This record gives sequence, structure tokens and C-alpha cells, in this order.
Amino acid sequence: MPNTKKTGLLMKQPANAAREQAVEVRFGQVGILQVRLHTTDPGSIVDELTGKTATAPHFFERTPVCLDLSSLPKMPPAEEIRSVIEVIRRAGMMTVGLAHGGTAVDELATDLELPVIHHVRASTKTAPIVQAAPASAPAAAPAEVPAPEPGALPALLQHQPVRSGQRVYARNRDLIVTATVAAGAEVMADGCVHVYGPLRGRVMAGAHGDTDARVFCQAFHAELVSIAGVFRVFETIPPELAGMPVQAWLAGDDLKFAKIGETDK
Amino acid sequence: MTEIIVVTSGKGGVGKTTTSASIACGLARRGKKVAVIDFDIGLRNLDLIMGCERRVVYDFVNVIQGECTLKQALIKDKRLETLFVLAASQTRDKDALSSDGVRRVFDELTTEGFDFIIADSPAGIEKGAHLAMYFADRAVVVVNPEVSSVRDSDRILGLLSSKTQRAEKGNGQVKEHLLLTRYSPKRVATGEMMSVGDVKEILGLDVVGVVPESPDVLAASNSGTPVILNEDSDVSRAYEDAVSRLLGETLPLRFIDEPKKGFFARMFGG
Repeated sequence: MPNTKKTGLLMKQPANAAREQAVEVRFGQVGILQVRLHTTDPGSIVDELTGKTATAPHFFERTPVCLDLSSLPKMPPAEEIRSVIEVIRRAGMMTVGLAHGGTAVDELATDLELPVIHHVRASTKTAPIVQAAPASAPAAAPAEVPAPEPGALPALLQHQPVRSGQRVYARNRDLIVTATVAAGAEVMADGCVHVYGPLRGRVMAGAHGDTDARVFCQAFHAELVSIAGVFRVFETIPPELAGMPVQAWLAGDDLKFAKIGETDK
Repeated sequence: MTEIIVVTSGKGGVGKTTTSASIACGLARRGKKVAVIDFDIGLRNLDLIMGCERRVVYDFVNVIQGECTLKQALIKDKRLETLFVLAASQTRDKDALSSDGVRRVFDELTTEGFDFIIADSPAGIEKGAHLAMYFADRAVVVVNPEVSSVRDSDRILGLLSSKTQRAEKGNGQVKEHLLLTRYSPKRVATGEMMSVGDVKEILGLDVVGVVPESPDVLAASNSGTPVILNEDSDVSRAYEDAVSRLLGETLPLRFIDEPKKGFFARMFGG
């Protein structure tokens, strides 16, 4: 399924790798479907969900979903949510958590022994993919996650070269790299990415769907550029961009590139 | 103070063992007490290059597993008084190494008053390579002037800055040096090979030595004499320079320009 938000981020935690490891704790980021409930009535939920899953049965098969309760008029008791989870399961999807939404949700999550997924804030800003209300949105639309609040955190500064095989991720903020990003390295941010050394690796801005995020670099040799999941690989760098200071931005679904200073955008 | 230098590269066949042997000899020639250790368990080579393969009784794995003492396993070089070789095991695999075991061996060498420990890393980024670099103070990253070697070295440099004891304990950086081997100025001039400048720019590191491509290396390996001991060879001079630079001297790089045809070359058709 073309869920462009699945950037497949995996960050290896610094572990004492010199020793044999029983477990490896990794940070992984995946896109997740949100099911926003407008009602807790199992009957109407099951009717709608089975209708939707019928349109794309494989897409929903054992798909993890996150319940967003923010549209419910009042916080339902745990029992009610349990039966909702059961009907969702019968429709083929598996509830893995509740979208973050305050202490009431936290308590409910504890009762249900489900995690609260903080990253997927219950939000009214974006349209969730599956609305348990009359809707005819195509079921295959990519899951959307709210953009991080701008200016919440200062930019993450990286002064060391980012070597092949390394990843640097600036969560909820911009990333500024003052050294080289080598071929085979990955730099990503939920905000903008600025690279002041040669950029030879892969770069992802707006990793959480911020379509206003941009990539700026001093010497463009990137292998891949992605903004909010829209990406382009460079098998051959356009000669007019090679080694130049370049910025990339998203115009609609189109990834645009221009030399810095040569765009009025 | 014992300094641990790992000789590593990521890619195989670029000249790690040749470099380890020559650097170890070069340091020992300057009166330093040096132990050179083969971390390539299962594919031991260093003893061949050092010419002591018939004198290996106990190896690194035996020491780590407590089957002999370190003294029993250290092979004293016949040419240089202060040089010792610790061979790898040919019959075990890399899992025979343990972090604690390596640490114990290094600690013991430190107490024995060694000036330098040269850790000859295996290729790859698996356990053997990891343990070879883990305790290092410095790293000599051996790179051939070609793209795959450069990329693998970049990966190794990434690991050096994150997966070493120094990095994990926040105890400063492992000091990294770049050593180019199999360098052919002629092929650089024709554009077939990356230049020193290209490699330096991509990896963002200073070059501690440039070793020219030469048949002397193969001849030295086959005869079990580290190439640095072949005084007639440019390779030897290049390694001598590299050793001096490792010890803090500043020397201009040699053998990076295409040689002008001199008297001998003209006489013998170069």
C-alpha cells in the first residue's frame, strides 16, 4: 500500500554491543492507521467498517490501528471500548493503542492494558483515514499524522560527519548538520533539514508529514530527497544542481528543486 | 602509557594486515615495545606476513580462554627485539573472542609495559572487527582509492565514532587516520583512480600515509618479511613516513605524483 509516511526509521540505540545481547532495543517508526470514533455503538461501527474493509480486504487484514477517542462526546467506560475493539477486530484490524489525549485517555489505556501512542496526537486538524461516520473517502488514502508544532524545540545540531550507515533523526524539530552527510547515510527531521557540508546521502524533511518542511544544502549530491513522504531518488544528479547550494520543497505532490537564491518561493 | 591502534577498513583485501605488520615493525624499529594482534579468528594471516607461522604454539583464543598465559602466546620477532606477535586461531571462529577477554589481554600488555598494541582487524563490521576497534585509542583506516573501499571506510569511521569504548563512555574521540594503499599516481593521472584529494574530501580526514601500488608487497608477503623491512622499496619508505607521522612528525606526502622518468628509468625502460 503506498503509505508514504512509512519512512522505515530504525535507530539503533547505543548499546554495549561488545557483549552478546539478549535483546536489542530499537526505535522504529511506522505509519499507523487511526480509527476515530464518532460513536461507541458496536452495531454501526461494525456495519461501516465491514463496508470499508470489503473494498480493500488485504489492506486491512491484521492491520494495526490506533483508536482516536477525541471526537466522542464523553469518555466512554472501559467496557464500551472493549466491545469496540472487539468489533474492530472482527473487521480484521487489530487495536494496538489509544491516541494520546489527556489523563482520561491515560486511565482508560491502563484499564485496557493498551499503550497510549503519544506521537499520534488525537487531533481535529487532519482527516483520519477511517472515520466511523458516513464517509466515502477511498480506504487507501495514506494515514495522516498531525504536523509537529513549529518552534516547539530548538534545532538539533550535528557537528560530526554523518557516516555511511549512520542515521540522525531530529524529532519534532529542524536538523542542522555542519559536516558531511556521506553516501549511504541518512539525515531526517520532522521539520526542515539544513546541511552545510556536502550532502551525499539520503535526506528526509517533514518525516511526520509536514508538507511545509524543506531541505537546504550547501553542496548537493544527494541520493534521495524526501519531503513529507514524497521522494525522489537521484540516479544521476541534474548537472545544473550537482555540487550547488540547493533547496527542495513540496508544491502540492511535486517535489521541487532549485539553487538557493534562484527561487522566489 | 600503552596506546592501542586498530588497523581497520571494512572492506577486505585492501592491505590491513600488510599495514599492521609494517606499522608494528616501524614502531619497533624506533625502539618502541610493540604487540601486534591478529583479530581475524579463523582466517589468520598476520603470522604469515610476519614470517612466524611455524612458531605459533598458542594463539589469541587460547589466551582469552585461559588455556595458556599471554607470555606463552606472544611470539617474539626474530628481527626486532621489541616486537611481539599474537596470532589468531585458525581453527576457531570469531565467537571465541569476548569483550572481557580482549580487555584482559590489553590490560596485561599494558602492565607489561608495551608502548603500542596494534590490532589487526578482520574485514567486515562483525564481532571480530568490532572487538578490534572497541578499546582503540587511535584508528588507522586503510582505504584503496576506489569507491567501494571509500564507502566501507566511511561506514567504519561511523562505527569508530559510535561503537567504541571511548565513544560510549564519552571519553573523547578515537583519533582517526587515513592510510591510502595500492595508490597508482599513473592511474590517478588518467582518471581511472580516485586521487588522494578525492578520498580526503569524501572522508573528511587527514592522510597519514599514501602507499604506492607495488609488486614488492606481494613479494614481501610471500617471503614472510613485512614490506617495510625491504629498504629498496618505495612501499617501505611510504610506511616509514606513515609511522613517523603517527608519532607526531610532519612530513610531506611522497609517491603521490607520477614519477618523472629519471636516469635509471630511461636506461632500463622504466
